[in-house]
Amino acid sequence: MNITILNPFLAAAKEVVQAEVQLEVTRGDLALQRSAFTSQDLTVLISLAGDIEGVVLYGLTTQTALALVSRMLDQEFKEMDAMAQSGISELANVITGRSTVNLSEAGFTCDISPPTLVQGQSIEISTVEFQRVVVPLETEVGIITAHLALREAQASADNMPYIPIQVETASPNGA
Amino acid sequence: MAKILVVDDAEFLRVRITKMLTSDGHNVVEADNGVNAISQYTSETPDVVLMDITMPEMDGLTAVKEICTKDPQAQIIMLTALGQESIVLDAIKSGAKDFIVKPFEPDRVLGAINKLLN
Ligand SMILES: [Mg+2]
Repeated sequence: MNITILNPFLAAAKEVVQAEVQLEVTRGDLALQRSAFTSQDLTVLISLAGDIEGVVLYGLTTQTALALVSRMLDQEFKEMDAMAQSGISELANVITGRSTVNLSEAGFTCDISPPTLVQGQSIEISTVEFQRVVVPLETEVGIITAHLALREAQASADNMPYIPIQVETASPNGA
Repeated sequence: MAKILVVDDAEFLRVRITKMLTSDGHNVVEADNGVNAISQYTSETPDVVLMDITMPEMDGLTAVKEICTKDPQAQIIMLTALGQESIVLDAIKSGAKDFIVKPFEPDRVLGAINKLLN
C-alpha cells in the first residue's frame, strides 16, 4: 500500500470527525503489521472493491465509542445499545465514503460495503497476503485505530472481488 | 408540511434526520434498505425521499431506478457518504433530483426538501 491511498484516507478521517463530532484528529505513528489483527472492544469492518480493494478496520474502546456517539447525537450514551452501535458504524461509513471521494480525485474509482460491527476483544481477524498500515487517529476522547489492508486492484483470472480477511468465528463472548 | 421517506441502513442516521424533519414540521416514514424503500414508497406515497446508497439487500441507486421507473415524478434526494462524480451522474440519470454528501449540514437537507416541495 502506498501514500496515494493513505493521504486521501487521512484527509477524509480528519474532515469527517471534525464535521460529525467537532474534534481535531491528530495522526499518531504509522505502523506496518502483517500478523493477525486482534479486535478491540469494538471493530467496524468496511470492504472496498474497484480500483482499490481490500478492507478497512476501525478499532476503538467502548469508552471512546460512547464519547463519540454522545457528541454525534448530542445526547449522552452510557452503554453500547443498538443506537450507539449504529452511530459508530455510520461514522466509519462516512469516513470511508469520504475516502472514496478523495480517491476518485486521485483517479481511483471504488465502491464500499455496508459496515459490519464486531463487538468483543481478542477476536482474531487476519488480513491475508499483505501487510496493513495501522493509522492511529487520535482525538481528545480517545483513539480510533484504523487498519488499512488495501491495494490497487490487480487483474485476476476469476474477477472475484478481493476481500483479504478471515474472521475467527470462536469469539470469547460467544457472540 | 410534507411526508418524507427517510431511507438509510443506519438507525442512528434515521433517528437524527427524523428529529430534524419533525421539528421542521414534516411527517417521517422510514426504510432501512432499498427493497423496503420501494414498498414504503408504494404504500406511503411520500412527497420527498431521502435516499442513502450503501445499504444491505438493495443499494439506493437500484432503488431510485425502480422507483423512478414506476413513478417518473418521484422527488428523490440522495443523502450518502459516497460522492464520486460517476456515482452522482448515475443517480441523476436514474432520476434523483439532488445529491447531498455526508457529513451534511441540516440546512442543506431542509433547503433541498423545500426546493422540491415548491
Ligand atoms: Mg448506509
